[in-house]
Amino acid sequence: MELQAKPVQPQTPAALQPKDYKSDLKPIWCPGCGDFGVLQALYRALSAIGRQPHEIAFISGIGCSSRIPGYTTAYGFNSVHGRALPIAQGVKLASPELLVVVAGGDGDGFSIGGGHVAHAIRRNIDLTYLVMDNQVYGLTKGQLSPTAPKGLHTVTSPFGSLEEPINPLLYVLAYGAGFVAQATPADMPGMAALVEEALRYPGFAFVNIQSPCVTFGEEEQQLRAHKAKMKPLASLGHDSSNQLAALDLARAYGKELYTGVFYRNPAPPPTYDALVRLRQAELAKTRQPRERVLDAYLQK
Amino acid sequence: MDVTPTQGIDFTRLTLRDGLDLAISIEEEARDRYQDFAEQLTLHHTVDAANFFARMARVEEIHRSRLAERRQALFPGEISSAIRAKVFDVEAPEFDQVRVFMSVEQALKTALAAEEKAYDFFARAIPQLQNAEVRALFTELRDEEVEHQALVKQEMARTSGEPSANAEAYGDDPVAQ
Repeated sequence: MELQAKPVQPQTPAALQPKDYKSDLKPIWCPGCGDFGVLQALYRALSAIGRQPHEIAFISGIGCSSRIPGYTTAYGFNSVHGRALPIAQGVKLASPELLVVVAGGDGDGFSIGGGHVAHAIRRNIDLTYLVMDNQVYGLTKGQLSPTAPKGLHTVTSPFGSLEEPINPLLYVLAYGAGFVAQATPADMPGMAALVEEALRYPGFAFVNIQSPCVTFGEEEQQLRAHKAKMKPLASLGHDSSNQLAALDLARAYGKELYTGVFYRNPAPPPTYDALVRLRQAELAKTRQPRERVLDAYLQK
Repeated sequence: MDVTPTQGIDFTRLTLRDGLDLAISIEEEARDRYQDFAEQLTLHHTVDAANFFARMARVEEIHRSRLAERRQALFPGEISSAIRAKVFDVEAPEFDQVRVFMSVEQALKTALAAEEKAYDFFARAIPQLQNAEVRALFTELRDEEVEHQALVKQEMARTSGEPSANAEAYGDDPVAQ
């Protein structure tokens, strides 16, 4: 049996158009929200990959960006705050043929659901995790989020935040994620290409998307500022197979806006879902009668 | 940083059919973006600007259908070579150009910036084109953008001074809860 999860194979490129992934539900995000750009990039990436909507599942937690499943024609589950990853892992293991995409915000992913990220990474389940990082809890009117910069004035930090922000890039790289990238809607072609690459990666893939909050975000976090300061990693000559170099660059999160692939494991290890299938096949050869199943767990 | 709005399109190899397909995709994207803006702003009670963007969506649809008719006459039944996934904001305004309670004046500025951007796109593409027919098509489309800009400017002059929604008036600074 093949251990390696297969990269998604492109089908006829013109077969599915971005609009084929767009549902009838109208997004209720604030006009101008960065998440509109993410959604557009996602439709295009899915269209480029060519998988049918019924072959895709979007899982999210709670937050503005977690509304994404409803805006696609794919299967979707807008679940519980911070619990998108555990649910997505279950979906992938139960239905390995599905392309499973997890979407959510920085608060959902790195505060309320922070404990789940490390485990999803170490299991290397074949998921694509898109975090729309806006440095604020927008849905609940602009409270301090885990990636909010130190000193940020919000309703819960009226005198400026005293906390250092979490560095999502360093976090996922340190736990060994096989694909780590950062994008901004200020570069739509770049973002669509990165999302597509993440979807094709065989294993846990993470894309941190700097998605500005137009209502509660700071001026220097808006797209105009992104356009001025973003630095594509490719233009710096970064070798995305070099994990140590990726870690070094990731340290600049919050200071520099690097876009592109920080790290892509050049030899992706077997995914957990592939290992599970292998184990199932192995055990099927020596299947025990049902009354002996518990014997496997008893010391002899 | 300058971002290319079309991904992986080799302008030197465009045929007339490809050029028409690309132009149709560009108009489609602009139509859809304006329609999205109209829907977003309607949902957020910014009616005047929403109506303007809905009108722009209808205008872009007229442009699209004219090009589509032309393409149908020249290449009946042939499958489109354009991939919408490769076209980004050529004539469509960037999606972050709308705000709750934006005024019609701001909406007009957004549309004008989009028309100027489209002009720049065609102007930059023309020197790369090898096919004379495509060059003629793109020159025509570029010149149309000048006409569109003039129409928007006319509308700006006509509506100047009219009362309209203003985001400043609805300012709602965060307060500690």
